[in-house]
Amino acid sequence: MLAVLSLLGSACSDDDASGDRGQQAQGGDGGGSLLEEVRDRGTLNCGVNDAVPGFGVVDDEGNYSGFDIEFCRVVAAAVLGDADAVEFTPLDAETRFTALQSGEIDVLIRNTTFTAQRDGAEGARFLQTTFYDGQGMMVRADSGFRSIDDMDDTNICVLAGTTTELNLATRFGDAGLAYEPLTFDDADAIQEAFINGQCDGWTSDLSQLAGVRSAFPESEGGPEALTIFDEAFSKEPLGPVVRDGDDDWADAVNWAVISTMLAEEFDITQDNLDQMLESDNADIRRLLGQPVEAEEGAEPEPFDPGVGLEPTFVVDVIEQVGNYGEIYDRTVGADSDLQLERGLNAQWQDGGLLYAPPYR
Amino acid sequence: MATTPVVSRPPLWRDVRVRRVAIQVAVLAGVVALFAYLYDNLRANERALGIDGSYDFLDQQAGFRIAYTDFSPGDTVLNAILTGLRNTLAVSLVGIVLTLVVGTVVGIARLSSNWVVRKAAGVYVETLRNLPPLLVIVFVNSAGLSALPTIEDATDIGGFLVLSVRQIGIAIPRGDGHGGLYLALLVAAVVAALALGRWRRAVEERTGRPARAWTLGVTLVAVVAMAGYVALDAPMVLSRPEVVGRRVEGGTIMSLPFAAVLVGLVLYTSSHVAEIVRGAILAVPKGQTEAATALGLSPGQRLRHVVLPQAFRIAVPPIINQFLNLTKNTSLGVAVAYPEAMYVTNTVIGNGNPAIQSILVVMGLYLVVSLAISLVSNLANWRLRLVER
Repeated sequence: MLAVLSLLGSACSDDDASGDRGQQAQGGDGGGSLLEEVRDRGTLNCGVNDAVPGFGVVDDEGNYSGFDIEFCRVVAAAVLGDADAVEFTPLDAETRFTALQSGEIDVLIRNTTFTAQRDGAEGARFLQTTFYDGQGMMVRADSGFRSIDDMDDTNICVLAGTTTELNLATRFGDAGLAYEPLTFDDADAIQEAFINGQCDGWTSDLSQLAGVRSAFPESEGGPEALTIFDEAFSKEPLGPVVRDGDDDWADAVNWAVISTMLAEEFDITQDNLDQMLESDNADIRRLLGQPVEAEEGAEPEPFDPGVGLEPTFVVDVIEQVGNYGEIYDRTVGADSDLQLERGLNAQWQDGGLLYAPPYR
Repeated sequence: MATTPVVSRPPLWRDVRVRRVAIQVAVLAGVVALFAYLYDNLRANERALGIDGSYDFLDQQAGFRIAYTDFSPGDTVLNAILTGLRNTLAVSLVGIVLTLVVGTVVGIARLSSNWVVRKAAGVYVETLRNLPPLLVIVFVNSAGLSALPTIEDATDIGGFLVLSVRQIGIAIPRGDGHGGLYLALLVAAVVAALALGRWRRAVEERTGRPARAWTLGVTLVAVVAMAGYVALDAPMVLSRPEVVGRRVEGGTIMSLPFAAVLVGLVLYTSSHVAEIVRGAILAVPKGQTEAATALGLSPGQRLRHVVLPQAFRIAVPPIINQFLNLTKNTSLGVAVAYPEAMYVTNTVIGNGNPAIQSILVVMGLYLVVSLAISLVSNLANWRLRLVER
């Protein structure tokens, strides 16, 4: 209903959006890049979520926090040298791509899944995945279910989402399992239905299930009373999104994000940054923009890969925001309420999927 | 009259007849222009967003299931919305019948001479009437039905009623073998009993001998029912609900969300109907009651023959309004996961189908249902008015 009203009511200010897009498509190869525009403006416009605990929430005073928010700050630190120079725009699932295309925001970091249709038809460009999520299933620990394949003839509570019901139907249909879906808009309503026995299972994105499990009331047995199956039956790679056709801007945002992963790989943290600046390791010196000898005997100078960022941008990022692991722990991981394991989001050496391209 | 009086016509802009028409035309033009503007705006915004505005998605596979229906993921989106509409109608129709019964009883109870009954009915009406219906539904669900035992520990009351937090089963008679024939026989018996009653009443008016229409009619139906049951070799059996695995089977089964919406809306709407009934009874002139008393009618007869028939006519139009409200309020079922039309439409939109077209479709369907209920009710109202003296 709201969608109809907003479309009926809003003036035709979006009319020239497609025209803009066309110009920006050519704007990538010299001059007119969003990179220059953001630098001139002095602030980054970042489209975010304001209601997903751990990923993007806004408090009573209008302060944003969360995993996605930290990556907006990473981009601002890398491009502008100031992590606080961000204007946050809260967006819902329907309006996020419109806001990106119309130029209302410079970058969209709002738990958005990278899909072919969005990459193609929506005119969006997906960058380095920051979080590997997937739809999962949570049951009571004492229910006797060991995997989804045990769950024939069950009731499943579903948190309404973009494709949650479709993934559920596919997973259960493929396995030939009968089920009744009970869809709720609101996590509190599901929790009530789940506690009073209306549902055997609860499906949503694994990250959200972890949030629910961590806050499960002690009177019902606390987090220990629930089990989340390891299986993810959908792939949800979440990452920053920019407009198609502006390669300079895409490179800058992408490498800002990648730098946090590289920093974690090299154990560069907010605490040890000063010592790391003195490091002899050539990889670390290159990443931090410290003078290195390009070849044997050459005059040492900072490494500039030409991604449109200052050679020392990583210093700003780490100093003001931190490396990937620090961001993760603080917002969704060990030091947060969600207590999410690193899982797929661990570095590749630790069996995860974070495999940042080398900085050289 | 020899001379035609010269009517000095006022200037055009002050002529009442001209003005009346002109204002109507202007309002109509304004409304049309507003809709044209909104539609134009909608199309322009759709074009800007690259939305094609077609309805092809209705024929595509929905891809999801709808709880407690046989809707499968392979069926079309249109079928999904229609399945939701069927659920809307199911809860509306059962709700309308129950609302009418409960509302009438409570409305009469509010006028009872018994203090306790009167006050209890008053509390019922004043509490429920002043709450938002959503709150009533959520309260019924959270505070009432959620406390039912889990499916594993379902309560079985004598094989007639099975209560669990997932489904509620009620025993019902079900045809078995010659069930259809038996049912036809019963209907025939009832029709015969009605005809008998009519004839007896005619005799009563002519001769003054007591009609005994009820006694004779009930006896006739009972004899036919028993004789038929024996003759047709037990054509009806009682289908009892029982828990099989994690669901209830047999009898007639309500899912918990259905029960929550039904009970919530019946409580809420019947409080309004009760007030309408009370108001309608009070609106019957006092002289009618006094005249009936003077004729020596008992209080029961007074109510049945004099007051209620007149009150009924007053009450019908506003009660129809409440039926419409109940039907529209079923869309609050979203809150307790009852898959009615609005819930299914939300799911359809959430799963990547165009929001605007989906909402226009469901708006059209609600309009059709509401207008159909209005039409049926207005016909009933019209029929009642014809016999008014």
